[in-house]
Amino acid sequence: MNSHVTIALAGNPNSGKTTIFNELTGARQHVGNYPGVTVERKEGFRTYGEIRFTIVDLPGTYSLTAYSEEELAARNYIISEKPDVIVDVLDSSNLERNLYLAVQLIELKVPLVLVFNMSDMAKARGYAYDIEKLSLLLGCPIVETVGHKGKGMKDLLDTITKMAEKSKCEKTSDGEYSSTLPVFLKARSREYRLRRHEIAYGKEIEEEITRISSLLGNNGLAAGAYDSRWLALKLLENDEQLRALVSSSTVDEQVDQSISKIEKVLGETPETYIAGRRYGFISGACLETVRSTIEIRHTISDKIDFVVTHRFLGLPVFLGLMYLTFHLTFTLGNPPMTWIEDFFGWLGGVIGGWWPAESSSLLKSLLIDGIIGGVGGVIVFLPNILLLFLAIAILEDSGYMARAAFIMDRMMHKIGLHGKSFIPMLIGFGCSVPAIMATRTLESRRDRIATIMIIPLMSCGARLPIYALIIPAFFPQMWHAPMLFGIYIIGILLAVIIAKLLRSTVLKGESIPFVMELPPYRLPVLKGVLIHVWERGRLYLKKAGTIILGISIVMWAMTAFPGLPAGEAARFEMMRQEITIGNMTDEKKARRLASIENKEAEAALRTSIAGRIGHGLEPVLKPMGFDWKIGTALIGAFAAKEVFVAQMGIMYSVGDADKESETLREKLRSAYTPLVGFCIMLFCLISAPCMATIAITMRESNSWRWALFQLGGLTLLAFVLTMLVFQAGSLIGLGTQ
Amino acid sequence: MALTGTLTASLEDYLEAIYHIITEKQAVKPKDIARRLKVSNASVTGALRSLAERGLINYAPYDVISFTSSGKAAAKDVVRRHEVLRDFFINVLAVEEADADEAACKMEHSIPKVILERFIQFAEFVEVCPRGGDKWIAGFGYHCNYGETQENCENCILLTLEEVKKRSKAGGQKAMKKSRLGDLGPGQKGKVLKISGPGKINKRIVEMGVTPGSVIEVERVAPMGDPVEIKVKGYHLSLRKDEAEGIEIELL
Repeated sequence: MNSHVTIALAGNPNSGKTTIFNELTGARQHVGNYPGVTVERKEGFRTYGEIRFTIVDLPGTYSLTAYSEEELAARNYIISEKPDVIVDVLDSSNLERNLYLAVQLIELKVPLVLVFNMSDMAKARGYAYDIEKLSLLLGCPIVETVGHKGKGMKDLLDTITKMAEKSKCEKTSDGEYSSTLPVFLKARSREYRLRRHEIAYGKEIEEEITRISSLLGNNGLAAGAYDSRWLALKLLENDEQLRALVSSSTVDEQVDQSISKIEKVLGETPETYIAGRRYGFISGACLETVRSTIEIRHTISDKIDFVVTHRFLGLPVFLGLMYLTFHLTFTLGNPPMTWIEDFFGWLGGVIGGWWPAESSSLLKSLLIDGIIGGVGGVIVFLPNILLLFLAIAILEDSGYMARAAFIMDRMMHKIGLHGKSFIPMLIGFGCSVPAIMATRTLESRRDRIATIMIIPLMSCGARLPIYALIIPAFFPQMWHAPMLFGIYIIGILLAVIIAKLLRSTVLKGESIPFVMELPPYRLPVLKGVLIHVWERGRLYLKKAGTIILGISIVMWAMTAFPGLPAGEAARFEMMRQEITIGNMTDEKKARRLASIENKEAEAALRTSIAGRIGHGLEPVLKPMGFDWKIGTALIGAFAAKEVFVAQMGIMYSVGDADKESETLREKLRSAYTPLVGFCIMLFCLISAPCMATIAITMRESNSWRWALFQLGGLTLLAFVLTMLVFQAGSLIGLGTQ
Repeated sequence: MALTGTLTASLEDYLEAIYHIITEKQAVKPKDIARRLKVSNASVTGALRSLAERGLINYAPYDVISFTSSGKAAAKDVVRRHEVLRDFFINVLAVEEADADEAACKMEHSIPKVILERFIQFAEFVEVCPRGGDKWIAGFGYHCNYGETQENCENCILLTLEEVKKRSKAGGQKAMKKSRLGDLGPGQKGKVLKISGPGKINKRIVEMGVTPGSVIEVERVAPMGDPVEIKVKGYHLSLRKDEAEGIEIELL
């Protein structure tokens, strides 16, 4: 037997699928670049006994209709990649709805194992299952688990192993599943005396199925990846994807004919009728095997919802929660930030100690100013990032995100978006990249593009360092949280306006339905949340270690080279000589020397590459109140927003002649007015999103035009708005210190 | 009314055509009528003259044609006869729409008023009487298509009995209250009868478990008045009000 087995995890959203995945694979996961909500294909590994399992976490879906891109991805994976076993995770406290997907998988005739997850919850809600009988009725083994406690995992792995053995025997030489009953059922006849029940759809439908599938047989289509009965059924359900795939006009005609006939006879569209029959089959099976012992009228979930989605309390609670999230991110993050700052300060000191004090070695400058200053300045914000992602993960896993969409849909609908767009927008507060990927849950392309376009306006975690640098530098303590909150709100408002504009101009079109599950509240699983936060933190650190390190070095080089022209350097050297031999007190000498060094450094920066680019941009920067130093930092910010901070650090440490430990914030305070500070934040909020965002927009919208539109449009908007604010602010006298 | 009784079938067709053209595009020209009825311009002129003589229309060459008040009543009567017949053929006899239309066209001229009213009453009766109903008609449609009756006669009768009991419990024969999900307030319950609306929304709603026959309860309305949260099959689902509009329910 081949000792490698591929498993696909399918299941409804909120069925605890990801928890099972984490439980099975632990940290041995291979996630795409950005995990986000499970939109990407996540793979995990597990060795059990002598078998190596590759476990693929499919996106959560309610059916195989291919209604959204996620559902299509899941369906295509199952059909075309033919995993050895498919494990369908069901929320057993909400069995009927969850069985709908299971029934469709059964119809696909794939080797299937059902997992009745959250069985503890089901028991608490008073459900009792006759598992044996139900598995007989459905024709596949059922394993009970409690995902977040890790219960039933061994059982699950054993069942999968058995199923895999059989399914491997079953596969014919060319890798097809045999269309007969799985042999394992016969082989383990004592344990699973299962018969696969086909759902009978009633004479009318069955007749049309036969008619279509025989036509398909003649066309040789059914022999391929699809089971002919299944395909016929899907065609009757008017599945756009498959109808496009079946290019034969005779089949097409027959399908149209069948559909209109069924509509006439049954008075319903076939898809509604078929879905009804499936649910009929499910409720029949449940009637025989599920007993509800107690009736709980109001679960805790209902009580929470009473407050959280309350007519009057709902919105304030929502805004309060958002505010709390940002407040905690800021305050709780502060102490660890100081530790990290101190650590890098100490590290800089140690490394600086390797050279004599007055050495102006390039390597020393590279290490201390370039690398430690740049990377350290970014890593400082790791606590903030982790806390924000922690909060988002908790909100998501607890089920509150769906309520947020529920509360916000009216407003989102008004601006032409979908309540669900709200979730990617919220993730956008963490990072635009996973947020843009999370838009895959949106079924309409217009909604998706509009959402992608405005996501960069949600202040991402990388912009937080900029705010965290600027706000305390220019504003009194009591203004910190409101200021931060205000900046986020400005972003949201702009997003709203732009979305409305887009949806009523370039992206005109009707909006799509808001049929969304509101899952019961659950305590987030610590392991899941931690894996999630760790993944984000790891990515941030990776970014700091790679892109930002690289950019820091480039930026440092841009500020260090080409250096002062020889004549200039000689002039400063002469001035220094003069003072050294001059007749002054030591103290005075030192001060004079320092001031000269400062001037020299500034002159050097002015002639450097960065300085020249910054200077070149000055005509554009001036109306916004920015000088060339800020301009240079903004160039760096395109690579990654947090580079702005690192870059400012480098710029100001170059002119750092006196060794008093003046922090960057203090330097900024003395160099700019609070108005400029605010303008910096505003510009960074709106302007061109980072390179990674542009890249992901290009990929997700499948069009470089949208990516360029996002880049150019937002930058232009940032310029205009910042200029207006600065000019207006200066006019009413905010520009003075 | 006296005059219309003496109208020939062909003149009635003209009245009908004029009526439809007026509702479609306000003004009627002889050319439109000729095209609609597939007759020559000359015969249209003749027919119009004859209608004008009977005081049913105002007609002068090169002027727009309009109904007199008695002409309008006569036209409406013809149209109604047509519609009643067509609906009966489609809804009760499960005949295809095109065939139904054609037959109605031929029969509308000769059918006496009394019998026409009976057609209407019968259609209503079938809908209301527990021994009839939608299912009964669907069963008839099945019978016509397949030449046999659906199984489960006992089951069907049992269900009918249950229905009758429920109705009498709720106070009388016509107590079944139809409503739309969109009109329900928090706390109200209903059984899904039918789901209409654009296909894609439909499919999604049904797939999420809102199937005909399932019981749903409105839990709450979002703070801004939309969407609504409903409970179906033991879980919570949210829909916008305009989507809920297409779900026909029986109040429980």
